[in-house]
Amino acid sequence: MKAHAKPIAVPEDYRAKRRIILISMILVTLVPFALILFIGYSTFTASLQRGAVESLQRVVDDHREIIENFLKERRKDLEFIGDAYPYAFLSHTDNLQKIFSHLQKHSKAFIDMGVFDDRGLHVAYVGAYPLIGKSYAEADWFKEVLKRGYFMSDIFLGFRRVPHFVMAITRMENGRPWVIRATFDSYRFNELVEKVRIGTTGEAYILNTQGMLQTDRRSGGSLLDQPGDIIHFPEAAGSVKTFIEKDKKGKDYLYATTWMPDKKWLLVVRQDKGDAFSALHTAVYLTLLVSLVGGVVIIAAAVYLSDRIVLHLETLDQDKAQLEQHLIRAGRLAELGEMAAGLAHEINNPLQVIRNEQALMEILVDDIKKATGSDNEAPLADLADSLSQIRLQIGRCAVITQAFLNFGRQSEPVFQAVSLMGFVPDIIGMVKPKAVNNGIDLTQDIPVDIPDVYGDVSQLQQVFLNLFNNGIDAIVEKHGASGGHLAVTARRATGNYVEVRVSDDGSGIAPEIIDKIFSPFFTTKPVGKGTGLGLSVCYGIVNNMGGDITVESVKNVGTTFVLKLPLYERTRPPTVRVSGRKVTDGAADRISVN
Amino acid sequence: MEKKMRIMVVDDEERFLVSTKKLLEKKGYTVETAAGGAEALDKLIMVQPHVIILDVKMPGMDGIETLVEIKARFPLIEVIMLTGHGTVESAVTGLKSGAFDYLIKPIDVDDLLGKAEEAYRKRRQTEEKIRVAQSRTLTASAQDILRDTR
Repeated sequence: MKAHAKPIAVPEDYRAKRRIILISMILVTLVPFALILFIGYSTFTASLQRGAVESLQRVVDDHREIIENFLKERRKDLEFIGDAYPYAFLSHTDNLQKIFSHLQKHSKAFIDMGVFDDRGLHVAYVGAYPLIGKSYAEADWFKEVLKRGYFMSDIFLGFRRVPHFVMAITRMENGRPWVIRATFDSYRFNELVEKVRIGTTGEAYILNTQGMLQTDRRSGGSLLDQPGDIIHFPEAAGSVKTFIEKDKKGKDYLYATTWMPDKKWLLVVRQDKGDAFSALHTAVYLTLLVSLVGGVVIIAAAVYLSDRIVLHLETLDQDKAQLEQHLIRAGRLAELGEMAAGLAHEINNPLQVIRNEQALMEILVDDIKKATGSDNEAPLADLADSLSQIRLQIGRCAVITQAFLNFGRQSEPVFQAVSLMGFVPDIIGMVKPKAVNNGIDLTQDIPVDIPDVYGDVSQLQQVFLNLFNNGIDAIVEKHGASGGHLAVTARRATGNYVEVRVSDDGSGIAPEIIDKIFSPFFTTKPVGKGTGLGLSVCYGIVNNMGGDITVESVKNVGTTFVLKLPLYERTRPPTVRVSGRKVTDGAADRISVN
Repeated sequence: MEKKMRIMVVDDEERFLVSTKKLLEKKGYTVETAAGGAEALDKLIMVQPHVIILDVKMPGMDGIETLVEIKARFPLIEVIMLTGHGTVESAVTGLKSGAFDYLIKPIDVDDLLGKAEEAYRKRRQTEEKIRVAQSRTLTASAQDILRDTR
C-alpha cells in the first residue's frame, strides 16, 4: 500500500481550467471558420444573383434582337415589293397573288396582302376575305401610314379570331401615294417568345404600350388580356431594365424588360424570384450544413482535447505532488541520517572508553584472583559476571550505533549494470541457515534471461537481505518453527523496469500501520531486536536508484514487497537521482540530474 | 618476534589514551600517547613508534592531516585510523594517503592489537625488502650499475 499524495488542486480548479481551454479553443477555431463561411457565402450569393440577373438580361436582349429582326425583315419585304413593282402592276390582284405566294414560301407568317390607292380604296387583295373595293380612308392606320410612311399595329384578333398584326408602308408614284398592307400571323413570334424557358418559372411575353398582352403568357393570361402587373420601363430603346416586383398574388418576380422597335412593344422576361435564386437556397442549405457539421466537429474536438489536456494536467499535478511527498520523506530521512550518524559518533567515543575500562577491570579481576588465591572467590565471580554483562551491553550499543551509521552512510553509491542472478542466490545462501532452522521453504523464481538492473550492488544486497530477514521474521512470528514459505520472483515489467516480488506467508502487516513501515525507527519487533531502520534504508536505496518499493499485505495471511528496479540501458537516460552524500536518500535541495 | 613493537596512540579523548596505554602495557608493549596531531608529530622523533593508532576526528590538526604529515616524515611508520564516525569516505582518504587500515569504534583491545600486529608485520616485511634491495645495490657489478643508470 503506497501512501497516496493529496491532490494539490481541487476539482473546481480543473473545471475552471477546462472551461477556459474549451472556450478559447472553440473561439479560436470557430471565429475564423464562421468568417470564412460568411465571406464565402456572401461572395457566392452575390455571384449567383448577378448570374441570375445576367441570364435574364441576356434572354431579353437575344429575343428582342430576334423579334426586331423578324419585324425588320417583314418591313423590308414590303418595302422591296413597293420599290420593285409599280403601282399599276400591283393593283392587279393576279399579279399580287403571284408575289404573295412567293412571299408565303419564304415566310409562313404572311396571312394576306392588299394594295390601296391614295384615297384608301382597296384595289387589290390576296387573302381569305372579300375586301376589294372597301374604303379605308377614315381608318386610323391609313391616316398614319400616309402621314409617316410606315405603320405597324398591335396584335389583335379581329374578326378572323386569329392573333395577327398589320404592317403597312406608303410608296409615292407620280406625286400620288399608294399603300401596301400585309397581315401577319403573330403565332410565329408568339411561339418564339413562349419558347423562352428559364428554370421552371422563367417566361417571356410582350406588352403593348397600354399594358395589353401581345402574346400568350405561360403563367396565365392570353392575348390582349391586361395582366396589370407593375412594370418598370427602360429609359431608352435598346437598354434593359431589371427589377423585382410582386405580382397580383404577392409573389416576387425578377423582371427584365426592354423596348422593341419604336417603343411600341415591351418585351418582358420574368422569373419567380425563388426559382431564379434557387441555387441560392442550395447555397444557404450548404452553408448551414457545413457550419452545423463543422461547428459540431470543432466543439467535439475542443471538448475532447480540453478533456485530454486537463486530464494530463491532473496527472502531472498528481505526479508532482507525489514527487514532492517523496522528496519531503527523503529530506526527512536525510536529516535523520545525519543526526543518527552524528549521534552514533558521539556515543561511540564514550562507548570505546567504557569498553577499554571494562577490559582493564577484567584484567584487574584476574590479577586480584591470582593475588588473593581462593579468598573472595564468590564476590569476584559476581564481579566477573557483571563485567561480562557490561561487555554484552556495550556490544548491543555498538550494534545499534553501527545500524545508525549504516543508515546515515556517507558513501557515494556506484551505479552500474547489476545482474539479479549475480547476487540474489548469494543473499539466499546467507539467510538459508536461518530459514532452514525455522523450517521455512525458500524459493527463487528469477528467469535466467532477466535483464540487468541499474543500481549499486552492495546497496541492492542490503535491500534483499533486509527483505528476506523481515520475511523470515514474519513467518516465524506466525508459524513458529513449523515452517512457511518465502518466495522471490522477478519478471520484466512495463516501462523499463524489472519487478521483483518478495512474498511471505507470515504474520502480515496491520492496515493501520502499513503506511508507517517505511518510516525510520518504526518497528514492530520487540525492544533490542530491531532498529526500525531496515525498511526505511531499503526505501531510500530503491528510491535513490530511480525505482519504487511498495507493499501489499493482509494481516495473518502474508506480505509481499514489490520492488520496481530500473533497467540498465546502454544509453542510460538521466534519472532524477538524489545524491547520496549524506544519506542514501539525500535531501530535496540536493537533487542532481545526471 | 625478535622485537616488541612500539605503539603510539593519538586521540583527543584523555581517558581513552590512559586506558589503552594501560591495557597494551599489560600485554607487554611499549606505548606512547598523544592528545593531538601536533603533539604526536613532536614526539615522533623521540619515540620512533612502529605503529600509530590515530583518531580521525580531532580538534585542531585532524587525523588525515596528521597522517599525511607522518607519512611525509617517516614513510615506514604504519598508521591505523580509528573513527567513531562510520565515515567510509574519510577512511578511504586515509587509505589513499597511506594508512594501513581503519577501524570503527568501539573496538576490543584485542582486535586493535591484532590489527596493529598485522601492520607491524607489514612494516617489517617492507624493511626487509629495503634491506635486500640495498644489499643488492651494494653487491651489484659495475656493469649492472652502468646498465641501471643508462
